[in-house]
Amino acid sequence: MTLDTTLNARIIDFGRGVFTDLDTNEPSPLNLRYLNTLLMRWSMSRPDFKVDLFRLVDVLPTLKTDDAIAEHVREYLIPSANRIHPSLGWLIGLCKSPLLVPLTAFLVRNGVQQMASMFIAGHSPQAALPVLRRLRKKRYAFTVDLLGEFCVCEPEALEYQQRYLDAIDTFGETIPSWQEGTPIVPGHAGEKSPVCISVKLSALYSQTNVLNFERSVAILSERLTEVARRAKKYGALLYVDAEDSGNNSMIYESFKRVFGSPEFIDFPYPGIVIQAYAKNSEIRVQEMLAFAQQRGAPIAIRLVKGAYWDYERVISAQNHWDFPLWTKKESSDAHYEHLSRILLQNHEVCLPAFGSHNIRSLSHACCYAEHLGLTERDFEIQVLYGMAEPIAQAFMERGHLVRMYIPLGELLPGMGYFVRRLLENTSNESFLKHTFFDTEEVSNLMREPRMHTQDFQALTIAPKPDDLVPIQLQNVQPSF
Amino acid sequence: MTLLPKFTNEPLLDFSEAHNRHSVTTALRELESRIAAGSLVARPILRGEEIRGKTTFSRTDPSDHTTVIGTVEFADIATAEEAIKTCLGGLDGWRRTPVHERANLLRKVGGIMKERKGFLTALIIREVGKPWREADADVAEAIDFCLYYATEMERLGAPRLTEEVMGEENYYFYQPRGVTVVISPWNFPLAITCGMAVAALVAGNTVILKPAEQSSLIAHEFARIALDAGIPGDALAFLPGQGEDVGRYLVQHPSTSMIAFTGSRAVGLEILNSASKVPTGQRMIKKVVAELGGKNAIIVDQDADFDDAIRGVLASAFGYAGQKCSACSRLIVVGDAYEPFLERLASAVSDLIIGAATDPSSFMGPVVDQEAAERIAKTIASASNLSLLAKGTLSSTLQERGNFIAPTIFRDVPENHPIWKDEIFGPVLACAHANDFDHALRMATASEYALAGGVFSRHPNNLQKAKEEFRVGNLYINRSITGALVGRQPFGGFLMSGIGSKAGGPDYLLQFMEPRVVTENTMRRGFTPDIG
Repeated sequence: MTLDTTLNARIIDFGRGVFTDLDTNEPSPLNLRYLNTLLMRWSMSRPDFKVDLFRLVDVLPTLKTDDAIAEHVREYLIPSANRIHPSLGWLIGLCKSPLLVPLTAFLVRNGVQQMASMFIAGHSPQAALPVLRRLRKKRYAFTVDLLGEFCVCEPEALEYQQRYLDAIDTFGETIPSWQEGTPIVPGHAGEKSPVCISVKLSALYSQTNVLNFERSVAILSERLTEVARRAKKYGALLYVDAEDSGNNSMIYESFKRVFGSPEFIDFPYPGIVIQAYAKNSEIRVQEMLAFAQQRGAPIAIRLVKGAYWDYERVISAQNHWDFPLWTKKESSDAHYEHLSRILLQNHEVCLPAFGSHNIRSLSHACCYAEHLGLTERDFEIQVLYGMAEPIAQAFMERGHLVRMYIPLGELLPGMGYFVRRLLENTSNESFLKHTFFDTEEVSNLMREPRMHTQDFQALTIAPKPDDLVPIQLQNVQPSF
Repeated sequence: MTLLPKFTNEPLLDFSEAHNRHSVTTALRELESRIAAGSLVARPILRGEEIRGKTTFSRTDPSDHTTVIGTVEFADIATAEEAIKTCLGGLDGWRRTPVHERANLLRKVGGIMKERKGFLTALIIREVGKPWREADADVAEAIDFCLYYATEMERLGAPRLTEEVMGEENYYFYQPRGVTVVISPWNFPLAITCGMAVAALVAGNTVILKPAEQSSLIAHEFARIALDAGIPGDALAFLPGQGEDVGRYLVQHPSTSMIAFTGSRAVGLEILNSASKVPTGQRMIKKVVAELGGKNAIIVDQDADFDDAIRGVLASAFGYAGQKCSACSRLIVVGDAYEPFLERLASAVSDLIIGAATDPSSFMGPVVDQEAAERIAKTIASASNLSLLAKGTLSSTLQERGNFIAPTIFRDVPENHPIWKDEIFGPVLACAHANDFDHALRMATASEYALAGGVFSRHPNNLQKAKEEFRVGNLYINRSITGALVGRQPFGGFLMSGIGSKAGGPDYLLQFMEPRVVTENTMRRGFTPDIG
């Protein structure tokens, strides 16, 4: 699976160019982003402090009173502050004084809210409009995701669905009339509409569960159909997001059921997501390409590495299950390139969207497309809002369509997303951390990733395609 | 922090893999044809032979009254007497069987259960109405007990020198207690039945297994597997029967050395009482291990993650229709969180899927039998003075078809109310408000029981307080409070929750044995091997 050396040299060259551009896009010290960068850089140097800090951030939105905030600040931060220096612990202890409680609460609440606002564009679609407009003006496309709490009952699931319908209405009625609504890359399939949403499917039904497979897929399909219908009304684009491996089989099944139906045969480029970190991702790619062929109209495939690695690691370790993902990050990087090539080779049935902040991965996709003689209309790049804008800018300036994935919602349901982003920015494995905070050599970051031996062995054992087969239960049980 | 010896649990089935779902579906279908053919029969087993019982009992499917799962033939007093004689006779041979052989037999029992996992899971689903996930966990736990106690016995089996001293050898070792009567419950029909029986066996005791009437078929399967694996016929007798006659007879018998019981508090106390009486001819003081009930509380703190807490409370309170000793039956919510939490809980419970245990989508199935359903319904009706927070949705077809009880939640339950104090062993949850976390802890621990408990909080000091002051056998923080794993979470409580040490833990086997010490003076005429 090694690349042609000329092509690899071209990728490295391309990537170096991107890196050079990054230096000119450094945030200024007066910028909020700069302060946050400092805070993150500092917390990264103190791993134990980082855990306490992130736990504090996680609990914050549930705290109603100033006293509760000050109390949690003290309890989470004093022990680790004391380990750094006793005077720091003493300093944090000061917020116990009744005079300082409101101030502490104010500072913390605002600090976190501002930090979260780097990643979450607003609490409602209406409130996000100016942000979206600004992004379009800067020549970025977007896709909007609505952050939701875990749905525990049907009213919550239906309310969540309603929020999607309303968001589509809000966007569909305003954005296409903006002058910024005109295509950034003319003729690009991803610009058939400036409105694009990403749906977290499993939350549209409160009893989504693999053991409730048939009913989950039936109800999710029905609710996704309504969302897709609304999108169709405005000609808007839609992606169905991938989740953890427990839910994914139902998500893919529902996607095929909805967009394979005659009603949506003309729906432009319905989008699905493949996680390259999953051992079965190549099978998924094949399955989706076959689906597009069968559908007779192309789909969009967002290729990501995947965001649930830690969660899946814990679940499979606790249960002694086979780990469904690659064990090493570099294997995911290598597999990502492999799948990128498959997608680009099949650009006639799919519009590949490369969702990554890794300059090597993105450079590989761009150069391989060029190698195949494709143009910037044949694929796009997607990044998360608030992460790595200099990278997005560098690719946008090279003529590529760059779409930002933008979550909207209140802070409480958004906390999970926010903490994941913080972790991503500060984890030792993170490309972003290496890119922006470390002094790692560019040549090292641009090196061609190799499948780790252990993972490579897993690759050669054909994964069981069985979880593509829906379960048949009709004859088993007493019929009621 | 030191670790206990590492033990790897039998993995639960990952149902996100379609082939695992298929395996249970197929097993259910195969079992269905055996049920239709009427071929499932549980008879007493003596000396390895099946013998005819005097009275029979038809076990109906808790999810469907119209289906008889199988027939149970009950042993009578004469058979019980014969079983005692057989097991007394077999004691010498079995206790002399080397420890590693006994341990390996347990491993073999575990191995066979693993091979027959699909069938055993299906039978649990049908006989006691346990939903898929929990039925699978039941089988996995049974396998775990075999492997865990096998290794434990090898650890404990070798005699140890108490200390190095010149001219003397002091050996500390264990011997079995004798004929052990195992009276097992229906709620973990394979796991607990197997766990108690193999613990007694591997320690060198002979065992008379008297299962709960409702789960005789699955217990019979276990006995068959154990005997097939090579446990001698005079070391294990299987006696399906009624607690009131056969059970009582075995407990009171002068040749019974030990009773291992898991079940209700009333029966447990009665066993303790009658075991303390010494009839003529009895040579030993009987040892009783009794794992009884719980009235387990979950505390939800003001800063808890509600998403996690709702799911944790639902799973703990209504998993297997609340018929677990570790089930959550009391919910204490702190301060301002009370109303918003209850509101979400109420709507969550009304959307839970209730259905036949055979249907994989059922979050909750039936209760074990009609008697249980009537008793729980009566308890709920008697609490009409309480304010009802929510009730699950139950179709009338289901209600007519099987022993279904809708999950029921009461709010503002006073601390002196029976619904707050007594174990119901059904899908009933009592909620109350606490002013602050300390108040919540006092309420939680005011119970007569001390088995399991839970806390959802993100407040470091409160969590620390809970670890210290929430005195229960198994405390779970920020997760559901059921589903203890062998080895990882040894399980058991104190106060009225029972006497005996934790099942699936390092002290469990010791209860089935008596320690002995042999001291030998090795110095003869000033000559000792130590110096020689």
